Amino acid sequence: MFSQLILSGIAQGAIYALVALSMTVVYRATTIVNFGHGDMVMAGAFIAYLFVVLLGLPFLPAAFVAVVLLFILGVAIQRGLIEPIKAGPHIGFAMMSIAVGYVLRGIARAGWGREVLPMPRVFDIPPIFVGDLILTGDSLVVIGVVATFLTAFFVVFHRTRIGQVIQAVYQSERGAALIGINVRAFHCMMWGIGVAMAAIAGVLLAPITLLYPDLGANFLIRGFAAMTLGGFGSLGGAIAGGILLGVAEQLLGFYVSTKLIDIAAYLVIISVLILRPVGLFGKAAIVRV
Amino acid sequence: MVSDSSARSLPVRLAADTRLFYLLPVLALFVPLFTNPYTQFVVNLMLVYVLVAVGFNIVIGNLGQLAFANTAFFGIGAYATGLLMADAGLPFWAALIPGGAMGALAGFLASVTAQRGIRIYYLAIVTLAFGELMRWVYIHAEGITRGTDGLPVPMPTVFGMSLDTEVKKFYVFLAIATVVVKGTSNLLRSRIGRAIVAIKDNELATASLGIPTARYIVLAFVWSGFVVGIAGGMFAILIGRVVPDSFGLIELIFHFAMVMVGGFGSLSGSVLGAIVLTAVPEYFRSFPGLEEMFFGVLLVLVLMFLPKGLASSFARYLPMFRQRFYRK
Amino acid sequence: MAALLELDNVSVHFAGLKALTGVSLQARRGEIKAVIGPNGAGKTTLFNVISGYVGATSGAITFQGQHIHGLTPHEIAAKGVRRTFQNGGLFGEMTALENVLAGLHSKIDSGFAGLLFGMRAAHAAECEALVRARRLLDPLGIGHVAHQLARDLSGGQQRMVEIVRTLATDPPLLLLDEPAVGLAPPVRDRLMEIMRRLAGEEGVSILLIEHAIDLVMKASDVIVVLNAGQKIAEGKPEEIRRDRDVLEAYLGRG
Repeated sequence: MFSQLILSGIAQGAIYALVALSMTVVYRATTIVNFGHGDMVMAGAFIAYLFVVLLGLPFLPAAFVAVVLLFILGVAIQRGLIEPIKAGPHIGFAMMSIAVGYVLRGIARAGWGREVLPMPRVFDIPPIFVGDLILTGDSLVVIGVVATFLTAFFVVFHRTRIGQVIQAVYQSERGAALIGINVRAFHCMMWGIGVAMAAIAGVLLAPITLLYPDLGANFLIRGFAAMTLGGFGSLGGAIAGGILLGVAEQLLGFYVSTKLIDIAAYLVIISVLILRPVGLFGKAAIVRV
Repeated sequence: MVSDSSARSLPVRLAADTRLFYLLPVLALFVPLFTNPYTQFVVNLMLVYVLVAVGFNIVIGNLGQLAFANTAFFGIGAYATGLLMADAGLPFWAALIPGGAMGALAGFLASVTAQRGIRIYYLAIVTLAFGELMRWVYIHAEGITRGTDGLPVPMPTVFGMSLDTEVKKFYVFLAIATVVVKGTSNLLRSRIGRAIVAIKDNELATASLGIPTARYIVLAFVWSGFVVGIAGGMFAILIGRVVPDSFGLIELIFHFAMVMVGGFGSLSGSVLGAIVLTAVPEYFRSFPGLEEMFFGVLLVLVLMFLPKGLASSFARYLPMFRQRFYRK
Repeated sequence: MAALLELDNVSVHFAGLKALTGVSLQARRGEIKAVIGPNGAGKTTLFNVISGYVGATSGAITFQGQHIHGLTPHEIAAKGVRRTFQNGGLFGEMTALENVLAGLHSKIDSGFAGLLFGMRAAHAAECEALVRARRLLDPLGIGHVAHQLARDLSGGQQRMVEIVRTLATDPPLLLLDEPAVGLAPPVRDRLMEIMRRLAGEEGVSILLIEHAIDLVMKASDVIVVLNAGQKIAEGKPEEIRRDRDVLEAYLGRG
């Protein structure tokens, strides 16, 4: 049973990892925590739903469209909403991201009202049995897609020129600007990528959960918790944090109480900040007096 | 806005300053002439949110700490007052202050996290988690709180009189709000307010002036908790039922938006922000989704064009909106 | 004459860094004592340890006969030690007047309940403070900017406001951390005048960190030279000017 829980935890955690990673990508690039990120995951899911159910597209193209649309949204947010208020207080950026989330939720609610939407089954993969363990088709797909994506992400990040550019700007924006990197374009790119990744998470969710306009909030909190657990700002930490969080939820839910699943994320946050504020892989910031 | 420091003219200035403050509540006495029960309800809700925004602003605007425990204070106040009325049979006027006191206690607990050097985003997340944990408690401590169904609040009475109409509630709310806002204004425009704002600006320099910073941080949180707790109690009898979902993240963001739109650190701004933003959701009540879209767009517009909030935009033409930290 | 402030063999060692080692000095009433030395000599650490922002690893610090090492910054300030900060400690969001009122904080006799309910006594205390603050600003020629936000003032005006704020409660001991930096010459002279008057007429003891040697030579009664955390010389300005160790370490090097 324990191993089964771990497995479910990893499958669930894979989504959290993706969400946390995408939030970290944006955070590292622009020091902004995107409070509307959960709503963007929801938007990705809803767009996929829209194209599949209403327009009859097959799943993959619909997913692709959702990701592209949200990439554009991310770029547009940075360019049109964040940049104009660059000079203002930092909290303004957070509020702006909240405002965007509001609008997304409003659109979803206006379009679909109070209904909860099931999407028709997309992945018809039969479960795999390994000894006592059951790997459902859904889990397989989720873990598979996320693992593939993460591998690709890190390959690009560490091995390609673009990845090096990203690393350079992450390290020092001023230095990067000095050697001719267009930092503004970089910000737009990273917002686009971050939101597109949220869309991927949403698209993965669409076939396996019931969709409703407020589902974003859950993922936002899980994303926070994962980032906090793994170390705020650490890319690898976000992934580790997400998976650990998924596993923790399953274990807590089974061995202690199912009621705890809802607040596992909060408990994780509070424990981390009390016990080890920098998280598993974070570095302590040096404060100069 | 030049004042001469001659002590002789001070008593005259005092009266003018105070007169201006009380003008609004006096004018407000006539509001029920223009409302029907539904719009009166909205006005009552505005009064509740005025206190919510004013209280929240003390911690995030004046003290400058991103402590997002406001919904926790709000909910604790609502449940405390509601439970005292429902289970202990206390009349509203007796149940309200304890509601505020419970909020103050929660404020004290929240201030502990601020003291431990947990700052900025971390503080925001921890206090937010605190609020959500409280909500989980409301849902699962069904024996006490009646869980997700909510706690029904009995008919409120004040000194024997039932507050069975929105208009009656209005006058009681108006009195409470006026007293609490005036008290807060008194605190801000004194050495206490100055100490709090100084801490926000430069905590080290503040200590160098002999000001015990820890004490004032706690005070700011406790007062904030009290004010918002009172608002919670008012909310309980306005809605008639205390439900866990009223105190979640979306509510918190609403509180934050009110303070932001009004202007961080400005008392008059919080009052304005509360009035303006409370009207919005109610206006769109019947169109699902439109309310959120409008709210989001409104926030974007304010962030882009009025980044310092309504109060500072008004302050350019009306000096009364500029937050002062002394009484003339 | 007994010293107002006495440091006895004070050392401040951080992990791996010896900021101060075995420093002993005294500050007397009515005396302006300048602390000079190259960057990293430990001057600001000296101020930090006196005012309580940094703990002394060993040694004793007494003020008016009482031990103050180990007390929190606000407790030490409440006893009468006031300081300015290198990067400016002015409260930018408040007006000049409000800044000075903040300086008066510990002397204003208004309590929470009194203020909350608008009681007469609390109100009177606040009004009295207001009058005092006004009176403090006017003589220094910055009365006209009393209602401007501190961050909107010029550098010289800001420095003046900070000094007024620091002096508001008539502290017996003042620690001034590079008060003249970035000031135009006429403002510098004004500053010197103020320091001389405070020390000469009002008996305030002033400890001064300054890099401007001309100011130091003109304004101070005694100069203390620090280098690499240790006191290497102390004496009258003329003596210091001729001291070989000092010349080697600091002065006369380009």
